Amino acid sequence: MKVTTEAQPRRPAPPGSAASMLPVMRRRMWISRRATPFAYLLNAPSILVILLLVGYPICYSFWVSLHRYDLRRPRIFRFVWLQNYVDILADPDFWTALRITAVFTVIAVIIIVAVGLAVALLLNRRFPGCGFVRTVILIPWAIPPVVNGLMWQWIYDPKIGALNALLRWLGVIEHYQGWLAVPTYALGGLIVAHTWNEFALAAILFLGALQRVPAELYDAGRVDGCRPWQSFLHITLPWLAQALLIVLILETMLAVRAFDIIYVLTAGGPGTATTTLTWATYLTTFENLDFGHGSAYAYIVTLITLGLSVIYFRILYGRGEFEA
Amino acid sequence: MRAARTQSRVQTLLLMGGGLLVTIYVLAPFSWLVLTSFMHESDVLSVPPKIGWDSFTIRNYLTFIHASGIEAVVGSRAAENTLPGIFNSLVAATATAALNLILGTLAGYSFARLRFPGQMPLLLTYLGSRMVPGIALIVPLYLTIKTFHLLDDLAALAITYLTLTLPFTIWLMKNYFQGIPRSLEEAAQVDGCTWTQMLWKILIPVAAPGLAAAAIFAFMTAWNDYLFAVILTTTMASKTAPVVVAGFVTDVTTARTLMATGGVLAVLPPLLLALMCQRMIVQGLTSGGVKG
Repeated sequence: MKVTTEAQPRRPAPPGSAASMLPVMRRRMWISRRATPFAYLLNAPSILVILLLVGYPICYSFWVSLHRYDLRRPRIFRFVWLQNYVDILADPDFWTALRITAVFTVIAVIIIVAVGLAVALLLNRRFPGCGFVRTVILIPWAIPPVVNGLMWQWIYDPKIGALNALLRWLGVIEHYQGWLAVPTYALGGLIVAHTWNEFALAAILFLGALQRVPAELYDAGRVDGCRPWQSFLHITLPWLAQALLIVLILETMLAVRAFDIIYVLTAGGPGTATTTLTWATYLTTFENLDFGHGSAYAYIVTLITLGLSVIYFRILYGRGEFEA
Repeated sequence: MRAARTQSRVQTLLLMGGGLLVTIYVLAPFSWLVLTSFMHESDVLSVPPKIGWDSFTIRNYLTFIHASGIEAVVGSRAAENTLPGIFNSLVAATATAALNLILGTLAGYSFARLRFPGQMPLLLTYLGSRMVPGIALIVPLYLTIKTFHLLDDLAALAITYLTLTLPFTIWLMKNYFQGIPRSLEEAAQVDGCTWTQMLWKILIPVAAPGLAAAAIFAFMTAWNDYLFAVILTTTMASKTAPVVVAGFVTDVTTARTLMATGGVLAVLPPLLLALMCQRMIVQGLTSGGVKG
């Protein structure tokens, strides 16, 4: 099913068409014939920004990543080819961080998609109070990750945290626990905090897509004797494919890059239990002041996210749902 | 609507139950933060916490206004910095939003209405640039900004936020413009408008909801950022709200209630913006962000 919007008049009028024959239009710059210089003029400021603030830094950090450059020994800036990359790939800590990043990202994205979709399906129905719930889910979306971290740190607090109080009241635990001091719980706590912050965006995106499922599709399904779960499987889900891909791209990137929440909540600990690649990059660069290895780390993270986004884009493009 | 016709009472009750669950999921953690900000420190620290009318106070909030009073014994430095931090965040986020609107409208228009060689690669470059994690950009950006003596400068911070926001704004504006009928522009052309006149008098007013959504998103992204802000700012001349709040958290001497109050204050501007512009956000996201 093609999910893009119906044919919009987006292509310029062909040269022979009535519109382009109007004399008044031929003099104007915005007629498609002289579009190329004009288009690049319009794009000039944006291109400049991207070249200067993304293009240059990317090249520079690649250059640094090929050097031995440690601020603790600032006089040495020696070209070492790919030695930094070799060092990192030979370091078991890197593979641990990669595994933790993968676990964090996969679990967080699955939860975000599942909760977001469930909430969107719920809010797509009419019931008393649904307007209120629609407003309420904007709250997590509007909360900055740093404040979100502060909030959950307070909830997980070992001595006076609300989670401890709640679990003891429910009879689940006997004694208060230091949740963020136990490796598994710390990663779990991080995922809970991150997904709470992020599920709302997914829900809003899904809800928008759901609201545009043409009612005729369901009517046709009913005529054909579809059961509710069948119409969900064969009508709703295919319709959501594009929104799903967008959510997957966005949330994968956000999870791989998660930094603020880790900084506030666990600082990569206990031990290395929540040290993701992004956190390892930060530590190498700003704690160890080893810019050479730090840049190599950053480059590896970049390559991973770029690789993932290429895969996602190919899927979008392959389905014919991505067009300029 | 569709469902309303066939919905039974049991279904309605189930849906309301689901809505209640979602509300609890969202509000329980957040209200604990808000509640703490209205409590006395001693009541918060007791186990289990004393919650009741006796412990209600607005003293924590007053501390942030008169940070140097006797009220502020613990963590007064952080409290002093919170309001200036929020002000800095407002300046940086607003500037980011404004820059986004200008650059994003121009570039978005070119993708929606013009055909030119290199169009697709350019769009993919914009979108791809957003895939580069901030952690990979920050060291070179830091060194560059330092060379130009622009560290600790809100303008420099707002410009670096373009890397986080501009690709999405261009994408959003492109989709929004594509949804506007061409006939409007053609009519303007026939009437002899120049391109700039057409842009100002016709396209921008019609695209106002899309522009508003793009501005809100840019504002939110800039407001939320911590990584760039913590590296590029050094004094209260430019430290933003998240930097001040993160400072609270890592300072163990700060009172819990003050921390919570600072957190609530830092959430307030984006939260109010989100609630006020709810319709625009949802519209902008669904009509511009995702086609389908």
